[in-house]
Amino acid sequence: MKLSDPRTIKWIWAGGLLVLAVILGLDFTVHHHAHFPRDGISIDTLPEFFPFYGFLSCFLMVVVAKALATALQRKDTYYDDQ
Amino acid sequence: MTINDIPPGVVLLVAAVLMAVLPARGRWFVALAAPVLALADAWVAINDAWAADAAGVARYVSTWQFLGMTLRPVTVHAPTAVFATIFCLMTGVGGLYALHHNRRFELSAALVYAGGALVCVFAGDLITLFVGWEIMTLGSTTILWCARTEGASRAGLRYFALHALGGVLLLAGIALHAGQLNAAGHADPLAFAHFAEMIEGWTSFGWHNAGLWLMLIGMLVNAGAPPFSAWIGDAYPEATESGTVFLSAFTTKTAVFTLMVGFAGVELLIYLGLWMAIYGIIYAILENDMRRILAYSIVNQVGFMLVGVGVGTKLAIDGAAAHAFAHIIYKALLMMSAGSVLHATGRRKCTQLGGLYRTMPVTMWCGIIGALAISSFPLTSGFTTKSMILSGITEQADVMARIGKPHDLMIAAWFILEAASAGVFLHAGIKFPWFVFFQKDSGLRPADPPWNMQTAMVIFAGLCLLLGMFPGPLYAILPYKAEAASYAGVVYNYEYLLSMFGLLLFSGLAFFVLLPMLKRKEMITLDTDWLYRRFFPTVWREVIVPILRGLDHAQKTVLEKLPGRPMGEPRSPLARLGTEWAVSVPVFVVTLMLVIYLVVYFVVLPTA
Repeated sequence: MKLSDPRTIKWIWAGGLLVLAVILGLDFTVHHHAHFPRDGISIDTLPEFFPFYGFLSCFLMVVVAKALATALQRKDTYYDDQ
Repeated sequence: MTINDIPPGVVLLVAAVLMAVLPARGRWFVALAAPVLALADAWVAINDAWAADAAGVARYVSTWQFLGMTLRPVTVHAPTAVFATIFCLMTGVGGLYALHHNRRFELSAALVYAGGALVCVFAGDLITLFVGWEIMTLGSTTILWCARTEGASRAGLRYFALHALGGVLLLAGIALHAGQLNAAGHADPLAFAHFAEMIEGWTSFGWHNAGLWLMLIGMLVNAGAPPFSAWIGDAYPEATESGTVFLSAFTTKTAVFTLMVGFAGVELLIYLGLWMAIYGIIYAILENDMRRILAYSIVNQVGFMLVGVGVGTKLAIDGAAAHAFAHIIYKALLMMSAGSVLHATGRRKCTQLGGLYRTMPVTMWCGIIGALAISSFPLTSGFTTKSMILSGITEQADVMARIGKPHDLMIAAWFILEAASAGVFLHAGIKFPWFVFFQKDSGLRPADPPWNMQTAMVIFAGLCLLLGMFPGPLYAILPYKAEAASYAGVVYNYEYLLSMFGLLLFSGLAFFVLLPMLKRKEMITLDTDWLYRRFFPTVWREVIVPILRGLDHAQKTVLEKLPGRPMGEPRSPLARLGTEWAVSVPVFVVTLMLVIYLVVYFVVLPTA
């Protein structure tokens, strides 16, 4: 079983997705305490808040990065002629 | 004079001299023995201070008189123990990593650099702090130049210029601050202690706190705070594989230490830290150079620490100090892993790497452990330290809510740092190992690096795991031990573990879902260093130089049009001024002036 084998990659993907599903399932079993109970903020007590928040924030950061890239990226030889 | 009078930093500075002159076999001994000696010296002082008073206040262990100033080069501040310990540990393991390359000057410079950092950590007065600060600048610039490449020499010059500027700001601030206190009759104007007057008034700017502002800005330059974040990504990837390991450890963390002692609780630091945490992720996402990815993630991690320092409660300070300790280890480990790849392949761009898992298993596993630790994965050191900063934030928000103080900033900080934690896993936790060791097969089949580099990596990888599973010894040397000890009981709980797994694993999913958008290209991302690398040089070349040329031309034209004799032959008496003079003439004139001055000052004025 070699890592470069496409079948191995498929198994790894399947295993990874299974772990994610288990995490999602377990999240229903626990009661998340609010981090700011005196302020009436309860979004962080919802089930699946953390998986959702992790995915969403990464998605947004990549999108923002790509948007910035259109203005700020140059060839990596940009400074070479100085 | 007892052992307590020897600043631990001086031990490393002496070792640096030995390193430069000893033959190869002696250098091994010095590189490994010097950090142990410095650590022992440090702990003698720390134990002395703690024996006298366990609470987290500065204890002056040794006091020197110099030029009428009271210097305190051996002082134990609340966070001194944790920073001194990790600096010595880093020097030793970094030395082990570097030893096999025959670069005596780089190792010597590294000892100077670490010695300077240690001087800062034990500085009880601002003069000692400044001296340590400048020693660090000299040592780190020399490390950069030891790479002996065109890119490193230019980056080193930019690095030096910026840090010299930061040092000048610090010195100006010290002079102004100490001068004002001295004029006000303060007993100890040079004391490096908590500048509490900044806490309430960080938004105010006036003559009374201008000195503190200058000091704060000087420290923030070294911390890589905006708009000075660019130097980290600019300079660090240009050093040698071992040089970058040293560079990643000391400058920013010494700045965190000084901010912790001097400016804990200054709200501005929260804003700056949040910006850095996000900035580091965005720039690392776009980066292709593997060590520049890691350099940007230093900014990100220091951002977490600055938020902790800015919150300024005992738990938050403990968290920032613990995180600095853990960060130095896993960041050095990541830099060692990347350095081993560079050493084995000579390549630094992700686009030219990949598939190295086949032949570099030790480097890969150590890199992965470092990547998990920086992502604060459970059972690693990042988990047991970064979570403390976040708990410090929620705890402070609760306290402020109870007394009815507005605390929206705390709430925002918590949500932003949770997002940033997910982003760390994205940009460093997965991106670095993925693009270097997996992704496509680059066709490269390099072997793992020499044994000393492997040993250094294994030691730090082991520490990442140990601190994650048994954080007790680290918590025991934090600034506020009682808070840390009570936190140790709650750090591992099922609810929090599940939150963390959910946050991190789904950010991992985001990485693979978004992989097409993350494909590496041979690009760099412009930063504020563009101003001094491109904008100002261009303005000078394209605007100012042509104007000066034009003026020069105009002046010559006007002079030629003037009536009179051509220049050259001295005809008029005044023209004699334009001819060459012997040196003796101006010397005589100056001496004459001095004599007249003395006569006027001592004879004429007193009688008048």
